[in-house]
Amino acid sequence: MNIQEYLTIFISAVFVYNVILSRFLGLCSFIAISKETKPALAMSSAVMFVIVMSSAITWFVYRFLLLPFNLTYLRTISFILVIATFVQLVEMVIKKLSPQLYRAFGIYLPLITVNCAVLGVAVLNIDMFFINGKSVAGSFYYSVFQGVCVGLGYTLAMLLMSGIRERLELCNVPKSLKDFPLAFIIASILSLSFMGFSGFKF
Amino acid sequence: MKNLIKEFTKGIIKENPTFVLALGLCPTLAVSVSVANAIGMGIAATFVLLGSSLIISLVRDFIPEKIRIPCYIVIIATFVTIAELCMKAYSPALDRSLGIYVPLIVVNCIVLGRAEAFACKNNTARSFFDGLGMGVGFTLALILISAIREFLGSGQILGHVLIRGFEPVFVFGMPSGALLVIGLLLGFFNLLKDKRA
Amino acid sequence: MINNLIVSGSPHIHKPESISRIMWTVVISLIPAGIAGVIIFGLDALWVTLVAVVAAVLTELVFGICAKKKITVLDGSAVITGILLAFNLPSGVPLWLPIVGAVFSIAIGKQVFGGLGQNIFNPALVGRVFLMASWPKYMTTFTRPFNYDAITSATPLAILKEGKILEHISYWDLFLGKHGGCIGEVCILALLIGAAILLIKGYISWHIPATYIFTTAIFTYIFGGAQLFSGDWLFHILSGGLILGAFFMATDYVATPLTAKGQLIFGIGCGLLTAVIRIWGGYPEGVSYAILMMNAATPFIDRYTKNKIYGTR
Repeated sequence: MNIQEYLTIFISAVFVYNVILSRFLGLCSFIAISKETKPALAMSSAVMFVIVMSSAITWFVYRFLLLPFNLTYLRTISFILVIATFVQLVEMVIKKLSPQLYRAFGIYLPLITVNCAVLGVAVLNIDMFFINGKSVAGSFYYSVFQGVCVGLGYTLAMLLMSGIRERLELCNVPKSLKDFPLAFIIASILSLSFMGFSGFKF
Repeated sequence: MKNLIKEFTKGIIKENPTFVLALGLCPTLAVSVSVANAIGMGIAATFVLLGSSLIISLVRDFIPEKIRIPCYIVIIATFVTIAELCMKAYSPALDRSLGIYVPLIVVNCIVLGRAEAFACKNNTARSFFDGLGMGVGFTLALILISAIREFLGSGQILGHVLIRGFEPVFVFGMPSGALLVIGLLLGFFNLLKDKRA
Repeated sequence: MINNLIVSGSPHIHKPESISRIMWTVVISLIPAGIAGVIIFGLDALWVTLVAVVAAVLTELVFGICAKKKITVLDGSAVITGILLAFNLPSGVPLWLPIVGAVFSIAIGKQVFGGLGQNIFNPALVGRVFLMASWPKYMTTFTRPFNYDAITSATPLAILKEGKILEHISYWDLFLGKHGGCIGEVCILALLIGAAILLIKGYISWHIPATYIFTTAIFTYIFGGAQLFSGDWLFHILSGGLILGAFFMATDYVATPLTAKGQLIFGIGCGLLTAVIRIWGGYPEGVSYAILMMNAATPFIDRYTKNKIYGTR
């Protein structure tokens, strides 16, 4: 339980290697949904939840199913199945428990399955915390924590972006740059700013 | 036959997955650091697109409506795994530089998007050419972006120095530069579209 | 009678000032720092500044012509961007560097958002971080002060970041700017003179600079030393781009919150981020990044600190 490790993971995942602005995972949803704050927040919370849970589940699958039986080449298929199933489950549960929440999420929920960030973090956890076929000490906690931090980084980028884009609705942006192109340029500047945290050392 | 050719060409310009449909952006930006990576990813993605479009259009009448998305995903994932394993075996250097973005082809919006929007509704021949066209369009877009980034960011293309004494602009090798390039390119193509309209 | 009731949102500026007047006054307030920069670093500083200003103005002109809009170069805002960008550069940079930077500042930092009054980020800082990411070598090669032969030296913050002991630098040296650094950031005295002009005229308010500097000082005092509560806060205030940033860039009208409460939050945020980057980050200086990040957060800050419109709940 190394505090420094956790702090490093936090700063990396949220700022320096921000899942959207640096790793480009979840970019499709980012550009499409970051236009207004409410949907952005809804999407972010859903994504955060799915990322954390699937980080945990895929860790188990890898550690106790794929590794021991030498099936690591099935990683991609098994992970995406886990994620798709989980999202489907979440959808059904929410539909049953709170139809209002289900309606509020609308199309965002099924879209999370193909959100690169979810599968990306699952794969990243394996790459980072399993070395030479063995799991690093505490890798489960690191994996889940990284999932949380990635979710936070996603949320941060979404919120900043939606605030900015809402404000830009009132400005006269050049026509050919409206919507997507400008969103990318803003993301570029945000990415540059977040670079300020690189080289972090505690 | 003419129709089939049209399915192919539409993926290159009119409905270019990257610049017009804005799909599959995650790997596009990550991979476009060098032209070599771009070509590698383009080929892999095209292979997956072709394979999945073919199979899905073949079995489209047998897949129940309710579970069609998971079925597509399994089919796509299979092709991605094949591509992954081939890459690991025959060009491990490319596999290392593409990193996590190879398995991420599974969730590449282009692949799933074409399956959902086209392959499940059209016959095999048309789906084949649609997949091929989209794949080629994607690869060309990747090459364009990575050529710009590699040239500006390191003064080279495919490892060959183009202009001697050129001071590389490092930012283009970074995520920020990628976002900038695609933002400006999208704006540029929008401008062309408006002018033509 | 009815005409006496003015209904509008805050802030309420009741001065007969135009944008031009304010902008050109800011330019004048930057002149002392410019003169100091030339004295300390030589004529190179002057060329860099002039080149940046010309490039900025020309870029704005080109955009104005292409967009067929009213020519706004005479309002002075492009000039300010050029000057501020130059002030954030070492004096020894090749002259194409400020040109590229100025073009980027105006084009990407300002015009793509719609021009004056609509930029989210401070344009000069956008240019600066772009240059920093693109040509780090040029951006971190500083010349020795009063040594016009361009012998390189490191800035005090850089020396601190490497963990070396700082010799021969007194607070007085820091205050007057007798050390390596960017053109406009080193001479605190000159910067404060300019800041005083703007404060007296009421063109900037004390909220952001005061909270920014204060927060940085407190944080570096607590965490900046080898043990808790042993940090050299005076050193931190007088080094790097803090004074330049706090008074001239973090106070950009457009990119910062509208209300006083929002400005306080903005200042605290900048101070925290700057201190954190300085103490634990890889870069020796964090002012540019801190301000840009807070610029990004400004729409949010505005949203939650908006004054209630009189008459509504």
